Amino acid sequence: MQDMNLTGLFIDLMSRLGLNYEFLATGYEAQVWRDGFITTLYLVAITIPVSLVFGLIFAACLTSGRLWLSAPVRGFVELTRNTPTLVQLMFSFLVLNTVVSNMVGGAQNNPLSPFFWVVAVVGLHVAALHAEAIRGGIEAVPSSMIEAARGMGFSQFEILRYVQIPLAFRSSLPAIVNGLISLVKSTTVGNAIAVSEITYASIMVWTQRDNVVEMMIVLLAFFSLINFVVARIGQWVERRLAIPGYGL
Amino acid sequence: MFAKTLTKTVFGLALSVATLAATQASADATLDRIKGRGKLTVGLILSGAPFGFIDPKTQEQKGYNVDIAKALAADLGVELESVTVTPPNRVQFLQQGKVDILIANMQYTEERAKVLDYVPTPYDRAGGAAVVRKDSGLKDWADLKGKPVCISQGSNYAQPLAEEYGAVVKGLPSQPESLLALQGGNCVAAVHVGATVGLLLVDRADEWKDFAIPFPTELIPSDSVIWLRKGEADTQTALDEAVKKLHASGKMLELAKANRLLNTKYLEEENKKLSAK
Amino acid sequence: MSMAVTQTPKKSSRVLRYIGFVAMPLLVVVWSLIDLSLGKELVEWIPYLASGFSMNILITICAVTLGTTAGVVLGLMQLAPFWFVRLPAQIYVQIFRNAPALVLIFATTYIFPFEIVMFGNYLPFPDWVKAVIGLAILSSAYIAEITRGAVLSIPTTQWEATKGLGFSRLQALRFVILPQCVRRSLPPWMNVASSMAMGTSLASLVGVHELMHAATDASTAVRRLDFTIIAYVVVMAAFFTLCYPIARLTRRLEQRFNAG
Repeated sequence: MQDMNLTGLFIDLMSRLGLNYEFLATGYEAQVWRDGFITTLYLVAITIPVSLVFGLIFAACLTSGRLWLSAPVRGFVELTRNTPTLVQLMFSFLVLNTVVSNMVGGAQNNPLSPFFWVVAVVGLHVAALHAEAIRGGIEAVPSSMIEAARGMGFSQFEILRYVQIPLAFRSSLPAIVNGLISLVKSTTVGNAIAVSEITYASIMVWTQRDNVVEMMIVLLAFFSLINFVVARIGQWVERRLAIPGYGL
Repeated sequence: MFAKTLTKTVFGLALSVATLAATQASADATLDRIKGRGKLTVGLILSGAPFGFIDPKTQEQKGYNVDIAKALAADLGVELESVTVTPPNRVQFLQQGKVDILIANMQYTEERAKVLDYVPTPYDRAGGAAVVRKDSGLKDWADLKGKPVCISQGSNYAQPLAEEYGAVVKGLPSQPESLLALQGGNCVAAVHVGATVGLLLVDRADEWKDFAIPFPTELIPSDSVIWLRKGEADTQTALDEAVKKLHASGKMLELAKANRLLNTKYLEEENKKLSAK
Repeated sequence: MSMAVTQTPKKSSRVLRYIGFVAMPLLVVVWSLIDLSLGKELVEWIPYLASGFSMNILITICAVTLGTTAGVVLGLMQLAPFWFVRLPAQIYVQIFRNAPALVLIFATTYIFPFEIVMFGNYLPFPDWVKAVIGLAILSSAYIAEITRGAVLSIPTTQWEATKGLGFSRLQALRFVILPQCVRRSLPPWMNVASSMAMGTSLASLVGVHELMHAATDASTAVRRLDFTIIAYVVVMAAFFTLCYPIARLTRRLEQRFNAG
C-alpha cells in the first residue's frame, strides 16, 4: 500500500510539471518497464566480457602475420564495422536464426533466443572496435623495443604477451572505454527484435500513451548513470596502469 | 564530486528546456492558418496496403488514409500537404504544429483522448486479426496463452493480448519484420490490423498458403478517428462536418472499396445512418 | 612485427581487400538474377532507396565535419591549465558521450522548432538538420576524448624539450604535439566517422527520409518476405560500400604516417 501511495504521489507531482507518468499506475505497462531496466543491466553485464575477450582474440589474429588467421578476422571486422548494427541484428535474427531452426529441425528445437543474438551481434561488433584499437596500439610499439625483447631471447608469443599487449593496452585504453560506452548504448538495438530491454519497454509504453519526452528523460538518465560508472572504472584502470614518463 | 553535482544540474536544466519546448501547445488558430496558407498538412502513416503505402513508380503515397486526407482537403477548399509519420513521432509532430491533423491508424482510446482532441465521427472501425499456421491448431484468442505472439511496435494490441489472453508479446519494428518472424517460427501468431493482413493473404496466396486467419472475432475492434491538438474546436467542427458529408454521400464507402478494404460493414452502416438524416 | 605488417602485403591478402569493395553489391546482383521477379521488384525500388541513401551521406558528412571541429577544440580545452576552461568541456563530454545516439536524435528533433522566424520570414528547420546536430553532439564528445587521449600519449619529455627550446605551451601543442597526435588518433577517429555513418540509420525513427526508412516503406508496399530480406541486404551493402573505402583510405594514411 505504501508503495502504491508513493507511485501515486510521484505521478501527481510529475503531472503538475506537465509530465505524464500515468502508466506507472497500470499493471502490465509498468511491469514491462521495470523489467526493462533489469534486462538492460543483465545485457550489459554479459556483453562487456564477451566483447573484451573477442577483441583480444581478434587483435592477436590480426597482428599474427599469418594469412589464414588474419584474413577471416579481417573480413569479419570490416563487415561488422562498416554496416549498421541494427541491420546486422535484424538480419541475424530474421535470416540466420531461421537457417539454424531449419538445421536443427524446427523452431521448437532452436536454443538461440533473441537475447543471444543481441549479445552475439553487439558483442562481436564492439570486439571489432576493440581489436582495431589494440592493433593500432600494438603497431605503435616502437620496433626498437621489440628488437630489444628479441635480443633478450623472448619468443614471438612472449613478446606479444609481455611487451606489446601491456603497452598497446595502455595506449588504446581511452579507445576501449569509448568502445564499452558505445556497447552500452548499442544494447538499445535489441528493441528491434523484441528483447525487452529498457528502450523496447519505453517504445511499448510511449506508442500507447504518447509520452515520448517523459520516457526519453528516464532513458537518458539511466544510460548516463550506467556509462558514468563505466567511464569511472575506465579512468581508474587508466590511472592504475599509467606509466611514469608518459603524458602530461 | 563538484563536477558530478554540476553535471546533474546542467543535465536537469537541459531536460527541463526540452520538456518545455515539447509540451508547448500552439494557440487555436489552426483553421485560420489552414485557410490562410491554403494548405492542410496531414500526418499519414505508411502501415501498408490498403491504408497507406508508397508507389515505387511515382514515389507518391497511396491508400485509404491518403484518399481520406485528399477528400478532406478538397472539402475545406485547400491543397493537401502530406507528411509521413511513425508511431514514435506522430504526436510530437502534431503538438509542434508540423502537421495540422493525424490520419495515422490511431484508434480512439481514453488515454489518448486526455492528451489530444479528436474528430467525433470515425472514418473506420478496425480490430486485430491473428495470422497463424494452419497446422497449429489454434482456434481462438484464448489459445494464445503463454505463446509468443508477434505484433508491430506501436500497435495497441500488446496490452489486451498480454493481459486478457496471457500471450507473450513480441513487438517488432514494423509489419514486414513481424510477418518474417512468424514465418521463421519465432512466434506462433502475428496480430495486425485485420484489413492489412486479410488483403495480404488474398493477394499473396501462394507465399501464405500454410497460413490462415482462423479466429472468429477481431481483437478490440475500435474506432479509427482523426486526431488534432487540444482545444481546437473550430477545426474539429469543420472536419467533423466534412467526415459526416463523406459518409452520407457514400464517398467514404467508395474510397474504401477502391482501396479494397475487405470489411466495409461499418462504413455501410454509417452511410445508411447518415444519409437517412 | 610491426615491420612485417607495414611491409608490402602479400598478393592474396590484397586481392581479398579489393573483393571487399564489390562483395556485397555482387551478392545482391546475383540474388536478383537468380530470382528475376524479385530482381524486377528491386530495380523498381532502387531510385527510391537511392534517394534515401543520399540523405544518409549528407547527414554523415555534415555531422562528422561539425563534430570533429567541435571535438578537437573540446579535447584541448579538457587539457587546459585553467579550471574554468577545463570544467565546462569535461562536463559536456561526460554528459554527451554517455547518451545513446537515438536519445540525442529524439531530443534535438523535439527541442528545435520545425521552422524559425528570422526577420519576419519563416525559415523551415528540416528534420535532417536536427539529426545532424544530434549526431554532431555525440561525435564531438567522442572526438574530444580521442584528442585528449592522443595528447596524453605523447611522452612528457617532449613537452619539457619544447620548453627548453623556448616554445610557449600553445606553440608546443601546435608544432610538436598535435602533428604526432594526428597519427595516433586516426584509427579511433575512423571508428567514430563510420559509427556516425551507421548512426544516420537511426534518423529513420524521427521521420527523416533516409535509407532504412525507404527500405521499410518498400517492404511494406511490396509485401514479399524475400523482398524484405533482400532489402536488408541492400541496406547493408549500401553502408558497406560507403564505409569500407573510407576505412581503406584511412588505413593507407595511417601506414604512410607510420612509415614516415
